[in-house]
Amino acid sequence: MSPNEQPTSINPNANANALKIRLAYRFLHNLNNLNTKRSNLDNTRINRRSHRVKIAAYASMASVVGSRRAWSRSILWKIKKQGVLSRNKKRVDRVTSTLHRHHHVHLGSKRRSRNPKREYYVDPFGNSGQEVKLRKLVPGVEMMNACALLDETADYIKCLATQVEVMKTLVDLYSTI
Amino acid sequence: MENEGNGNCSIFGMGIEGSEMNCFFNTNSMDQKDLFESALSSIVSSPSNSHHAVQFPCVGVGGGGESIVLRELIGRLGSICNSSEINGNNSSNNSCYNTPLNSPPKVVNMSITGHHQFPVDPSRFSTFGGKNELSHVIESGKLSRVSSNQSFKKMNKLSMELDESSVSETETGTGNGIGVKGQSNNANGRKRKVVAKGKGKETNAKDDKVVTEVEKEESDAKRSKSNEEKKSNEKSTEPPKDYIHVRARRGQATDSHSLAERVRREKISERMKFLQDLVPGCNKVTGKAVMLDEIINYVQSLQRQVEFLSMKLATVNPRMDASMEALLSKDMFQPQVSMPNIANPFDTSAQSFPYGFQSQLNGMVPDRPENQFSMNPLMAAMHRNSVIKPPHIDGFIEASTLWENDLQSVVKMALGQDQSQGFLGQMKVEL
Repeated sequence: MSPNEQPTSINPNANANALKIRLAYRFLHNLNNLNTKRSNLDNTRINRRSHRVKIAAYASMASVVGSRRAWSRSILWKIKKQGVLSRNKKRVDRVTSTLHRHHHVHLGSKRRSRNPKREYYVDPFGNSGQEVKLRKLVPGVEMMNACALLDETADYIKCLATQVEVMKTLVDLYSTI
Repeated sequence: MENEGNGNCSIFGMGIEGSEMNCFFNTNSMDQKDLFESALSSIVSSPSNSHHAVQFPCVGVGGGGESIVLRELIGRLGSICNSSEINGNNSSNNSCYNTPLNSPPKVVNMSITGHHQFPVDPSRFSTFGGKNELSHVIESGKLSRVSSNQSFKKMNKLSMELDESSVSETETGTGNGIGVKGQSNNANGRKRKVVAKGKGKETNAKDDKVVTEVEKEESDAKRSKSNEEKKSNEKSTEPPKDYIHVRARRGQATDSHSLAERVRREKISERMKFLQDLVPGCNKVTGKAVMLDEIINYVQSLQRQVEFLSMKLATVNPRMDASMEALLSKDMFQPQVSMPNIANPFDTSAQSFPYGFQSQLNGMVPDRPENQFSMNPLMAAMHRNSVIKPPHIDGFIEASTLWENDLQSVVKMALGQDQSQGFLGQMKVEL
């Protein structure tokens, strides 16, 4: 934004670099965890592995950002939920699963209640479907107004682009070794 | 009747009363014709003083006789501000004025401060008077772009053939400091007081009032003169407050809902501009719809790329050593400390990210310095694991001109001192 250009023009490089470095480190860390945790790494199908890598990528991206953003919170939430539920599937412990489900529901509602207020206004975008599409793409923005939605989208795009770059360089690195 | 503290004048209350006019004059005190001339010349030669209010044609005239002339001038100015009707045709401008303009009116509020830096979007905001403050900002920016020196020289003529001269006047006049500081800085730029940067909200409120009233003035002048009383009525002075000062524009609903809506729309447009910078290739895109489409496509493409890259990583990813993990976990937070040391080249990597995904499976590292960051710890670890061959390293090094800087900063933190020395030494040898 123009008014912010002045203050951030000095620091966008630093910010982008810092973000990238943090992303790189975190992603590698997560990949390591991923690889070392699963003992059958070499045997599992590529689909599963790629899925895990993708989850690791999103998790690292979200954890770098932390809880500052709605999309990162949503991603972390989903991953945590997936992890817990998958663990519960393996276990026979139904009590734990129900407890966790209640916990999930509670947390989910709490998350939603953060943005309960919707200003009544004519659709600011004036276009049907686009806003809805955007809400589907960006995690965690279902309950936001259009203004915050665009904010989150901008941050999400920034982090996604950085994550993609980190992954690209990793792929190149691995492919050349 | 607003008289800015700094003495700038604007075409407020272009009332019939000459006394009213006097309030808006600059400190110049001349007779009527001289005032007019001085006003026009000030338009021509007004320096870019962003901290001043709108140095709009201080075409105040002392007497009632000139008021008519003045009103006509201002009316023409206002009408001509319509970019789509810059032919200076009064009749056509009249019709333009009466028709509702494109996007919903925007509130003249503190967001002007933000807006005046934005790249103007002329296609969205085509008309000037009494409508979007953003529109007029944008319009003025566009006009300032449009206005060439030729129109400028015309301004020097104090002829009353306002068609061209007023066109140029409005063009240059509205050519404000909004994002076109270069133009406004020269003699051509008549700075509209659309708030310089760094102004507080209070001053913004005042400025916005100024702008609003100026716009109102022009639109009013074009309309029937009987409406002029309304102008002054609407333009009640409001004390600057600390919160966002929102004013209802002339002819628009003044209920709180509409105002709030307008504020919100302005915020949304701000964010759309920000997104325009993020999404590559959206500089020429105009309009929210197309912009949104681009954003959606971009997000989808990014997500697809993540998926594709994760699949690639899954196939290519070798088993990492425990040393690597320890290395990474140990040094995960150190990059933040060394951030100031790192040079700039990585900055635009995020922004210059290519829209389309390019498969980079060749052996050469892409010629981007930012690669070094994520690769350094890995390469260091690989070194220790004795896998990397020198040719690859040469490729890496040659790809980046800032290798050494990055290497020193990142590797030091990643490897520890002794290893980094060895690594650096090896790197330097191969350089």
